Amino acid sequence: MKNTFTQSMAWLHTWAGLIFGWLLFAIFVTGTLAVFDKELDHWMQPEVPATEVSQADAARRAVAYLQAHEPQAGNWGISLPTERSPGLRVSTGDRRHGGGVQLDPRTGEAIEVRDSVGGNFFFRFHFTLDLPRNWGIFVVGALALVMLAALVTGIVIHKKIFKEFFTFRPNKGQRSWLDFHNASAVLLLPFHLMITYTGLVIFMLIYIPAGVDALFEGDSRAYFNAQGNARLEQPRQLARQPGQLVDVAPLLAQAEARLGPLGGLNIRNPNTAGARIEIRPELGNRIALAKGQAMVFDGVSGELLSDVPQWRAAPLTQRVMVGLHFAQFGGYPMRWLYFICGLVSCVMIASGLVLFCVKRGRKYGNGTAQASARRWYRVAEVCNVGFISGLLLACVALLWASRVLPVELAQRESWEVRTFFGVWVLALLHAGVRPARRAWVEQLLLVAVLCIGLGALGGVGDAMRVGVVLSALVMGVLLGLVAWRVGKAVPAPIRAKAGRNVEAGA
Amino acid sequence: MMMWVTGGVLFAYVGMLGLCQGLERHYKQVWQRPCPRALRVGLRGAGWLALLVSLLLCAQAWGWAIGPVAWLGAMSLSGMLLVMLLPYWPRLAVGLAAVVPVWGMVQLFG
Repeated sequence: MKNTFTQSMAWLHTWAGLIFGWLLFAIFVTGTLAVFDKELDHWMQPEVPATEVSQADAARRAVAYLQAHEPQAGNWGISLPTERSPGLRVSTGDRRHGGGVQLDPRTGEAIEVRDSVGGNFFFRFHFTLDLPRNWGIFVVGALALVMLAALVTGIVIHKKIFKEFFTFRPNKGQRSWLDFHNASAVLLLPFHLMITYTGLVIFMLIYIPAGVDALFEGDSRAYFNAQGNARLEQPRQLARQPGQLVDVAPLLAQAEARLGPLGGLNIRNPNTAGARIEIRPELGNRIALAKGQAMVFDGVSGELLSDVPQWRAAPLTQRVMVGLHFAQFGGYPMRWLYFICGLVSCVMIASGLVLFCVKRGRKYGNGTAQASARRWYRVAEVCNVGFISGLLLACVALLWASRVLPVELAQRESWEVRTFFGVWVLALLHAGVRPARRAWVEQLLLVAVLCIGLGALGGVGDAMRVGVVLSALVMGVLLGLVAWRVGKAVPAPIRAKAGRNVEAGA
Repeated sequence: MMMWVTGGVLFAYVGMLGLCQGLERHYKQVWQRPCPRALRVGLRGAGWLALLVSLLLCAQAWGWAIGPVAWLGAMSLSGMLLVMLLPYWPRLAVGLAAVVPVWGMVQLFG
């Protein structure tokens, strides 16, 4: 710790930023990719056809399929084709994710679709780091707190926020890195603060359960009921008597008129007198994230049993904040806005990490410094490469794995995840054995080539998949330019990244 | 909707440009001469006004509930774009403002 307030803030910003920045970068990159999770899902499973079948027709075919194959199941889940997710999936049981059978919405026949973690992996990694769920949520929450602290300390130590609001001076080495780090942080400050804070709000009851514990004596079900989320009493008696299922299409129309575009439906106790049809909206119909909401109909008479609950002010506030984080509302323009803002956030974090090394390069990067200082400097350098370009490599490797791994491979999904982490570890090792600047160039070039090459894997049948390939192409070209720029920089006497030679030579 | 979105982003950029050019340092960066005081005030005023127009356009595109969120995003990103353009192609950074009349024409007659 240092003496003055600003100095201690600078100390905190530097060291918290470095140590936690590596993982924060991974969280921000996967979060940015998760903005387009459904699109990536669709790209990673090229067998799913893109069709323009109405939801009512698709739902009828799904029910017919389930009637033929799973008439005894206690619960039918149907994910309807939507704008972003053109597949039709049916499942039985209560599993929310994965499982189930993919149907062709045009015919209602089952189609063979490769197992793939899909874009959903990025989403899950974004809030759990692929750790066991609750552990992950706590670790990521702690990192989000560090991010908030880094933002606040950053504001404190940045003396000229308004004077240098529009300032970026390229080709001036450390100066340029600092300018860029400042500009990207200051200009996008509303986004950084919003995304970090709302990220914490999502799991506020996991982080701070004291309020619910005190009011409801730890009974989380009582808490949910008090919000109006009460599950309807399941009609156990009626569920044993056979019944004739009502046509779902008029119910879907009724729900759509009330809720807007629909996401899917559940039919509980199908083919019994106690059948219940729960129809849920797509997530993006309103700002407040509508997850878990559904209109419930009687499955025999078609009568509306319960409407979506009205949230009270406090839960509504939380839901709106969650909605702000998830960016489901506002269509594709909003999604792109979030995506690009997310990219700038990633680059902001990365530039801060690089700045750490650039700033110390002259002092610790050469022979004059103490051996131990040099060793620690080298660790920071290696981690920078491995956690920045290495993570990008791992992400694009996952996309490749989803297409390249044999379709019939057993436990294919876990092999995809192994590819992701395997490539990441390899990238760290590679960074460890190569000189830092060579490592940057080689890894960035490889990422660029893999991104550009996504189109070569084929299977681009529709606009959404073409969009994924084109976006990857643009990304690849940009990363290629970065690699070229890093490589072109005249070798400074010490480790250098783009643009620091002017200063080193001066 | 796309026209409103485009307009919102465009006016956000022009607003940031006005605020930026209203600063001594950045006016000089583009035109290599000091900025008269009246012009400086005018540029800043126009900048704030354009940002306000951008807010209205974003609200048109997305509604008042989420429009302001989009507005903040549009201002941030266009500011970022401006900052990256200025040192490399300063005239282009200013010249982009010429898209506004084009947008206005399309909006009126398109």
